Amino acid sequence: MILKMLNLIVLLFVPFLMMGLIKKTKAFWAGRKGVSIFQPMYDFVKLIKKDFVISKTTSVVFNIAPLFAIATVLFASMFVPLATGKALIIIPAGVIVFAYTLGLGKFMSLVAAMDTGSSFEGMGASREACFTSIVEPAFFLLIASVMVLTGNYTFGSLSHIIESAGSYGILITIFAVIVLFIMMLVEGSRVPVDDPATHLELTMIHEVMILDNSGCDLALYSWANGIKMLLISSLIACMVIPHNLPMLLHILCYLLVMGIISIAVGTVESGMARIRMSHVFEFIFVMSSLSLVVMSLVMAKMFGG
Amino acid sequence: MNNFFIGIFTLLFSGFVVGLFGKNFKTGILSFLVAIGSVFCAIPAVKVLFSGTDLAKTFEFNALFGNVTFGIDHLSAFFILIITIMSLISVIYSNGYLKPYLDSKNINSHLVFLPVLIASMLAVVTCQNALMFLICWEVMSLSSFFLVIFESAKKEVLKAGIKYLVFMHISVLFIIMAFAFMAIKSGSFDFESFKLVLQNNKSFANIVFILAFIGFGTKAGFVPFHNWLPDAHPAAPSHVSAIMSGVMIKTGIYGIIRMIMLIGTPNKFVAYGFLVIAVISSLYGVLYAITQHDLKRLLAYHSIENIGIIGIGLGIGMLGLTYHNPLVTLLGFSGGILHILNHSIFKELLFLSAGSVYLKTHTKDIETLGGLIKAMPITAILFLIGSVAICGLPPFNGFVSEFLIYLGMFRGLEIHHFLAMLLIFLAISGLALVGTMAILCFSKAFSIMFLGLPRSEKAANVSIDCGYVMTIPMGILALFTLLIGIYPQFVFYELKLIVLSIFPSLKLDLVQVCAIPLNIMQVVAFFAIMFILFMTVLVVLKHYLLKGKVVFHDTWGCGYNRANNHMQYTASSYAGPFLSMLKPLFKKVFDIEKPKKLFPTSAHFHLQIEDIEEAYVLNPLLKFDEWFLTKFESLQSGNIQSYLKYGLIFLLVVIIASLFIG
Repeated sequence: MILKMLNLIVLLFVPFLMMGLIKKTKAFWAGRKGVSIFQPMYDFVKLIKKDFVISKTTSVVFNIAPLFAIATVLFASMFVPLATGKALIIIPAGVIVFAYTLGLGKFMSLVAAMDTGSSFEGMGASREACFTSIVEPAFFLLIASVMVLTGNYTFGSLSHIIESAGSYGILITIFAVIVLFIMMLVEGSRVPVDDPATHLELTMIHEVMILDNSGCDLALYSWANGIKMLLISSLIACMVIPHNLPMLLHILCYLLVMGIISIAVGTVESGMARIRMSHVFEFIFVMSSLSLVVMSLVMAKMFGG
Repeated sequence: MNNFFIGIFTLLFSGFVVGLFGKNFKTGILSFLVAIGSVFCAIPAVKVLFSGTDLAKTFEFNALFGNVTFGIDHLSAFFILIITIMSLISVIYSNGYLKPYLDSKNINSHLVFLPVLIASMLAVVTCQNALMFLICWEVMSLSSFFLVIFESAKKEVLKAGIKYLVFMHISVLFIIMAFAFMAIKSGSFDFESFKLVLQNNKSFANIVFILAFIGFGTKAGFVPFHNWLPDAHPAAPSHVSAIMSGVMIKTGIYGIIRMIMLIGTPNKFVAYGFLVIAVISSLYGVLYAITQHDLKRLLAYHSIENIGIIGIGLGIGMLGLTYHNPLVTLLGFSGGILHILNHSIFKELLFLSAGSVYLKTHTKDIETLGGLIKAMPITAILFLIGSVAICGLPPFNGFVSEFLIYLGMFRGLEIHHFLAMLLIFLAISGLALVGTMAILCFSKAFSIMFLGLPRSEKAANVSIDCGYVMTIPMGILALFTLLIGIYPQFVFYELKLIVLSIFPSLKLDLVQVCAIPLNIMQVVAFFAIMFILFMTVLVVLKHYLLKGKVVFHDTWGCGYNRANNHMQYTASSYAGPFLSMLKPLFKKVFDIEKPKKLFPTSAHFHLQIEDIEEAYVLNPLLKFDEWFLTKFESLQSGNIQSYLKYGLIFLLVVIIASLFIG
């Protein structure tokens, strides 16, 4: 019970810290002192307290979409092994429920963006829908390969790659980490796919979708986005942390991995510019090809002996 | 079983009875009679599903037919329930939909053929004699043809109808070939006798299966035999498209399942081929759906997609059969069969709400709609529910069947065979791609139609939602989507019985593995219910906590404050980035008038995307056909003497030939 509460606390608060750490890293590379690591949390509280402005064009869909965004990520998190290395609900093919629940949140946020009648938001929605549609198949292919390799159909299979595939396992883990990292950049709308810090609406994806959201809605959206990043990072953590560590050490390792990933995201953002919109596909297809490589490695392992 | 025949005959004659009444009572009386007929037909089906014993009745016909058996087993019972419930809902909806058309000259024939179509579908799924089956099949095709050409004054409707008729006859040709082969080998038209022949002769069974697949697959809409679907569905009135897409194309799937049942264990290459065609169908369907801006064409392409998903389920089940893996068989078939039910529910819901929109705005082009959620809130919410369900998102029914199919595919990876594994990997990523593309497509369709501001006068003039006679049937369908989504255990229990009855020889193996999916279903159901409760709490909380804190203002135009409804994002631009990635898969037809001179008066841009199969395969074939047939034009001279001459020549040839051959 205590462990479950701990998972919940991690789920709710670590996303803010990750955001803060990313900002801090970016400040470091830019040679600034940067804001406090807790700033995203203060922002959240400030936004919650504010009144909000709603477009006259919108309907009920726009009103409930932020609730869907937060509810779907919270429910999807039940299937993901968090800090303790164990998910709340462990069922075979939990990945399907995970991905499709996130899909529901995405669907609602897409139609909510279109609800305002703004062409900027339509543009963002269109791009978001388009990029997701390439990400998902690659993700499924990766997870399916890992599942068949380990003979375990839950997310737990991610932590058994090396022990069931030996030297192949190390290669597979490396590729899988890259795939999930790219997926996190796309889903979390970070540079080089999207730039959350830009002020130019034409070049944004996720941020432009929520242009008309304010106050509590905006806070919920950004929190949901952070949690989504945490969930995908947790899958990475699941692969790189040995699964038979003592609980306390496991939790520490988990937090450490989250820290490393945040710093990596911050470094990527400082090191490179956003890719031109027409080239984003190519970047995402890197992920698809790596998934195919993982699949071929798994098949080589199973049939090549 | 007698109840069933009473029901069928009630349906057959109800259309003629309706003709006796005045025009204001016609649709009401028809709904009443169809309801009676449906109840009579559904009673034996429910009995079979719950008692577990099959029903059958044999008639002794003449020597040609042999004995004609009508039987209800679990599979038939399942289809009977789908046909009766879904058709009844559509017929009730037609009370509202047909109101403006009551003076149309085709209304009487329409009301005759509607119940005949339902009766013939019911006969198709129960008949166990090949010859009788073909007759019922033909009645089904013809009656639906007459329903499609309801608005026969429009040229494109007639064209679509004739295309449909031609495709259906190509389809029946292949079915006749398959049945004829089996009948010659077995010496009888009975399905039971086919079974013996097929199971003793495997290579023969493969040929028959492929022929039957082409025949039934044309009806179902598998790519590359799908071309009639996107033309026929938009042409038909909405309640007819709902019956056709929701129910009638499923008889094709019924035929395929019946063939699998007769064959027993399919050849592995047949199973591979089936799976590949299914994956291609689902991708092709959803891809073209994204390109379409005619709402009903879009939905028709989605039917192809969903038939593909059903096919993936069945294909995985077939792989399970060939490799003797009972769990994969169970998951594949139960997922596929459940998706038949699910698709008929949400597709019917979507077609009916599309019909309501058409009735109010008189256009099917979604680019001219917008903002309808303000005037038609109930229809909009129902369409939203249908969209979420068809995308396979929880907590609705589409998710349950897709989940079962995914589970089947994951377990299917255990089959330790290179090609099978590779195909299943591709099917997994294919189905994932289909799911996300469906999200793109339906977020487009829903938001362009119902959200934002009206894009034309047509949409702006709508002031009131449709009446209850139209919204209540749709509401019932929406309720079904939710119920199956939150209580899948019950449905799975029935599905298990159906799959067991399809493969009686595998009963023991199948029963052993039933517990695995059942437990998972329970978790998923609990999850779905918790999600709905949580959402309700959130919505109520938000409503009360933030009541006084809202200020209304114009949409933020990034500094520009004279935005109008023509500056909204359109459906083409929404789908644009995705389609630009897949350019080679379409044929684009542009219709552009550029602005000219100093003060341009008119300009327009229209982009239509043509089906690649139609553009590069069917049209060249038709051209060749036309060219070839014109060579014989001179034979048809129009004077009677030369026709007599042809008759004489023909007689002479026959006589001379018989001298030599005889």
